[in-house]
Amino acid sequence: MTVLIGGVGYTFLRDHSVGLEVIQRLAALSWPEDVRIEDVSYGPVAAVHHFRETLLPDDRVILIGAAKRGRTPGEVYHYRWEGILPEDAEVQERVVEAVTGVISLDNLLIVATRFGALPRDVLVVEVEPEDESWGAGFTPAVEEAIDTVIATVRQEVLGSEVLG
Amino acid sequence: MCFTNLPVEFDDEGRAYLREGVADPYGVKTSGGSRLVGHGAGPGGGVGTLPAVAGAQVEVQNLTEFTIDPVTRVAGALGFHTTCDLPSRRVVDAHSYATLFRGYELILKGRDPRDAIDICSRACGVCGGVHSTTASMALEMALPVVPPPMGILARNLGETAEFLYDHPLHLFMLAGPDFSELMVKATNPELWAAAQKTSAPHADIHGYATIAEIMTALNPLTGRLYLEGLEYTRTAREMCVIMYGKYPHPSTVVPGGLSTNLSFTSFNEYYKRLVQSFDYAKKCVGVWDDVYDFFLTQNPDYAKVGERPANMIDLGIFDDVDAYDATYANCNEWGEQRWSTPGVIINGELRTTKLQQIHIGTEEFVEHSFYEEWGDPQFQTDPAGNPISPFHMWNKQTIVKPTGRNWREKYSWATTPRWDRTVMEAGAYARLWVTAMAQKHPTNPFYEATGTSIKMLLPKGRLPEMELEWKIPDTLNALERNRARAYCVPWMTLIAMNCWLQIMERWKAGETKTASPFKMPKRGTQLGVGFWGAGRGYLSHNLVIENGKIANYQILTPSTWNASPRDPFDKPGAYEEAVMNSPILEQTTPEKFQGLDIQRAIRSFDPCMPCTTHIQAGDRLVVRDVNSCACTLEEELAQ
Repeated sequence: MTVLIGGVGYTFLRDHSVGLEVIQRLAALSWPEDVRIEDVSYGPVAAVHHFRETLLPDDRVILIGAAKRGRTPGEVYHYRWEGILPEDAEVQERVVEAVTGVISLDNLLIVATRFGALPRDVLVVEVEPEDESWGAGFTPAVEEAIDTVIATVRQEVLGSEVLG
Repeated sequence: MCFTNLPVEFDDEGRAYLREGVADPYGVKTSGGSRLVGHGAGPGGGVGTLPAVAGAQVEVQNLTEFTIDPVTRVAGALGFHTTCDLPSRRVVDAHSYATLFRGYELILKGRDPRDAIDICSRACGVCGGVHSTTASMALEMALPVVPPPMGILARNLGETAEFLYDHPLHLFMLAGPDFSELMVKATNPELWAAAQKTSAPHADIHGYATIAEIMTALNPLTGRLYLEGLEYTRTAREMCVIMYGKYPHPSTVVPGGLSTNLSFTSFNEYYKRLVQSFDYAKKCVGVWDDVYDFFLTQNPDYAKVGERPANMIDLGIFDDVDAYDATYANCNEWGEQRWSTPGVIINGELRTTKLQQIHIGTEEFVEHSFYEEWGDPQFQTDPAGNPISPFHMWNKQTIVKPTGRNWREKYSWATTPRWDRTVMEAGAYARLWVTAMAQKHPTNPFYEATGTSIKMLLPKGRLPEMELEWKIPDTLNALERNRARAYCVPWMTLIAMNCWLQIMERWKAGETKTASPFKMPKRGTQLGVGFWGAGRGYLSHNLVIENGKIANYQILTPSTWNASPRDPFDKPGAYEEAVMNSPILEQTTPEKFQGLDIQRAIRSFDPCMPCTTHIQAGDRLVVRDVNSCACTLEEELAQ
């Protein structure tokens, strides 16, 4: 079983770059052979093609990124993606976004689910961003959250090894 | 005569000069305000504006304001305000407004000129390579440096692949749903009924027996043509990646060529996908010819949807290796040798194919845009000594001024480009149209311009060898824009085929170099311009370097031409004009009015707003209204 850990976000978009930073730090750690760590921010449709080609239904995907949902900045949330899609009209809007260059966690999850590219086991680890402006680096809240994200992903993948 | 409005004439050797006796050759006498109908206060609120034409109050009582904001299925943020006379089924007024500002021109100022390639690329997530290429060409002219032949050819292969990604994406994902079963049933049930009884003339090519079957296949998310289009983006994207190393936003585009490590295997991999594209291109043309001919047969008034004069501008694209030397001095010659010819068409007549004439005739106004006019121009002439306007891109400065928000004053972040003070439009179809009329493209075995058409010979794939002919239409309208874009799919495969064959010959002769070394100037002033194109037409990057840094950088995109607000002479922009000329043909009640004909008119231009508007006060980032990487720069227009 493959475990794909994917970072989603934009480069140099302050807290929205957190997914890309986390996968770089994760890639510097040791992992079992079946774990792949990738930047999957190249567009949901291209990601669909890649997932379909490289993932099986029993594989596992962990997607990491920032998502603005009005919560406390820097808080980390993780949840199983249940694959529940919105109405077709909204899915179509997300596809249009995807083909015209928009990249986001929600967009990727919806498009990839609609076109059957995700395995059953999908975990999302998201951080509430604070600063969404252009530039490098993170706000202190999100910078602090990075260790929590890394620990969450390590716990999910390695389980007792981390606890032990 | 090249110019009829600007006082620019030419001597016997073709050098331009300003006509004597004209006191203020580039003076602008404004019209005194836009014609206004309806109650519109302008985008984002602002000062309320009452109708300014006699009798308008009476009209207002019978008019319906219809605003589409955002216009969906376009890249980025475009709003459109119309005033419709629904009883007489016409649009009496229209305003196109770009609702985002990006500020690339400001970001680039003072930077190392080489940064422009990577930063500009982020101007668009659809056009993932054109901006970096155009920036590299502006640098090639300014430095100067000329790419080796293999660099030019590899660039052509990358770019044709990008358009093979772009055109089907628009045809099937963005514009296609407007012609789908779901949409046609809802707005024009009489057409759906007829479509079920109408055989598809090209069923042997695309496999759909009736027009209704095609419409069903165009349904978003579930239709076979929609899904096939989505899958095909992979083939084309892979072709881009082979040439650029990465797509979108390649990191291998440099002044003087491409730094990708290309091998014989690279070109074979590209070819394998090109062959697949031949058959897909045949299907594209068959499908869209059938759909558009059906609409025109059922109701000839569809020829009026999106109609406007055949005024088009294009810079040409895909250089000939024996001609391109990256100089401004010789750009007329190398431009005319391009596989797609540069040119300006006014009222259906080809006015020029010379890049210098196209360039010096172009001005960018900000009368109705959220910018301030700049001060004295830096340049009176171009590097060849031709006069240029104070409103020319080499003189333009980007000074943000989001005030006076109403239809009479300022209402868009898009600027107003004009050529010879005439409203122009840009598009893939302009590329095809100019090349057909000019008959100047390199001789080749696969396509030939006849003056009134382009004949194409598509090689055999699974489908047999096929001759296609795109004929210049009688009128420029929404359906003909889309039809021409469909023909651009096979045309791109054939240009790619020509360039691929040239690469094979050179590779066999031992040529492998794809980039030339260059040195950056540290002193003095250098000018450059990248004359190129995006999937949706004209694209220029205008660069001024001073003492080794970018002093000015102005990007002029196709959608800026098309989305422009009114000009200082009160002429509406291309979208606005096209919509005002559109009859309302959808058969819905006013309560269920969808504005589909308006939307078909706008979408036929293939709007790409991220490219069009170049940070303003705002309190919220609109992640969904941005495109890849450029999102970093965008905030919603202050409410």
